[in-house]
Amino acid sequence: MAQILVVDDSSTVRNEVGDFLKKNGLDVAFGVDGRDGLAKLKADPAIKLIICDVNMPNMDGLTMAEKVRGELGNAAVHIVMLTTENSPAMKERGKAAGIKGWIVKPFNGDAVLGSFKKLIGA
Amino acid sequence: MRDEKTLISKVLVLDNSSECRKQIRTFCEAQNLQALKVLEENLLSVLRSNVDLGGIMIAEDLGGKPQDGIRLGQQIHALRPELPLFLRRESVQGTNDLSEAEKATFTGVYTIDQIHTLQEVIETSIFSLVYPPQLVRGIAEMTQSSLQSQFKGLAVHIDTPYIVRDRLIFGEIFTLIPIESDWCRGYMTLQAEEAPLLTLVKANKTHIAPVEGDDFRNLNGILGEITNLIWGAFKNRYSAFKPVQAHLAQVPIVINHMHRYISFGSVNPQLCFKCTLSDADNPAMAPLVIYQRFVFNLNWSPEDFHENDQSLDNLVASGELELF
Repeated sequence: MAQILVVDDSSTVRNEVGDFLKKNGLDVAFGVDGRDGLAKLKADPAIKLIICDVNMPNMDGLTMAEKVRGELGNAAVHIVMLTTENSPAMKERGKAAGIKGWIVKPFNGDAVLGSFKKLIGA
Repeated sequence: MRDEKTLISKVLVLDNSSECRKQIRTFCEAQNLQALKVLEENLLSVLRSNVDLGGIMIAEDLGGKPQDGIRLGQQIHALRPELPLFLRRESVQGTNDLSEAEKATFTGVYTIDQIHTLQEVIETSIFSLVYPPQLVRGIAEMTQSSLQSQFKGLAVHIDTPYIVRDRLIFGEIFTLIPIESDWCRGYMTLQAEEAPLLTLVKANKTHIAPVEGDDFRNLNGILGEITNLIWGAFKNRYSAFKPVQAHLAQVPIVINHMHRYISFGSVNPQLCFKCTLSDADNPAMAPLVIYQRFVFNLNWSPEDFHENDQSLDNLVASGELELF
């Protein structure tokens, strides 16, 4: 049972973000791409927040977000993108998919921890 | 042809005359060239290992006979045809007395009292692409911040960016990512040795656990994420956020592992940044050197270069959450 699902094809980012969240008392699960992220979300109904990269193999993060809302019909889970992308068009696509927020890498945990905790009600 | 203050290139100097080497060095300094003296007996090992050369200056009487330098030049040309060779002639002006094959070996010829005549051929053969200084500075900035975000407590030093013509691969870990925009198309590569990177992982200087360094794929992943960060920063700063035209031209990229050589199908010089990461608290630890190269082999239109306005409302500082 995890509160937060981190989806990124980079093991470095998964470690960095996961370690930071765990050190701050949060339960974390991981996905290695959009397809894996969907499977992990399906398997764990306790997940309240997905932190997700955009550019990933097999299934990108925006497609995954669209499938979370569409195929899975999950409107409750919050989705925040953590990506190097900063294009307005991509953000618009994310907004349309019901994404809650956007973070441009590199990850700065201290700057976002409070917001994450609010989103999951911790 | 280039920004005088931001770009240099390195040339090997094969010349036994100390007086000529002195004049060559003075000339090189004025051309933003860093002259590196090399002994003939060390030449082959230097050529096999040196990954950041712009050209070679060679004296025709290197071994005491006029033909020695020319013969050596032909051997170098066969080995490293991408490197321009500049032949210093002892007394004969020009190349009329040389065979066609010998003429084709050398990009430029000169006598020491006429060395200034090389200026134009150096501009066209070494510094043949215009790199906007804002671009060069911007890449250095984004590389510096990306490296700092992925290593804990290390000093990041970036040498003065330079132009290289060689195509040698450095180290064991090599990343390659396309750079696509409306004014440039090509690739960025990062190249590093595995051993010093592993040392940093074991010293807990990265975001992966020391034990995870035993899996080489995790070391690959570190360089991969740095590549991703720089690529994203480049796109956000220099691309127009417009869809790139479909069916764009591509050329095969060829890697020859035997010769540690990569070809992008273009003779264009590459823009190179040498980044050195070191631990000030542990000077005995071997520094990690990362070579970052940009090769704009598919499109290079610096006249259309532009930098996005970072103050736009939709551009939030890196690492901060933009809530929708």
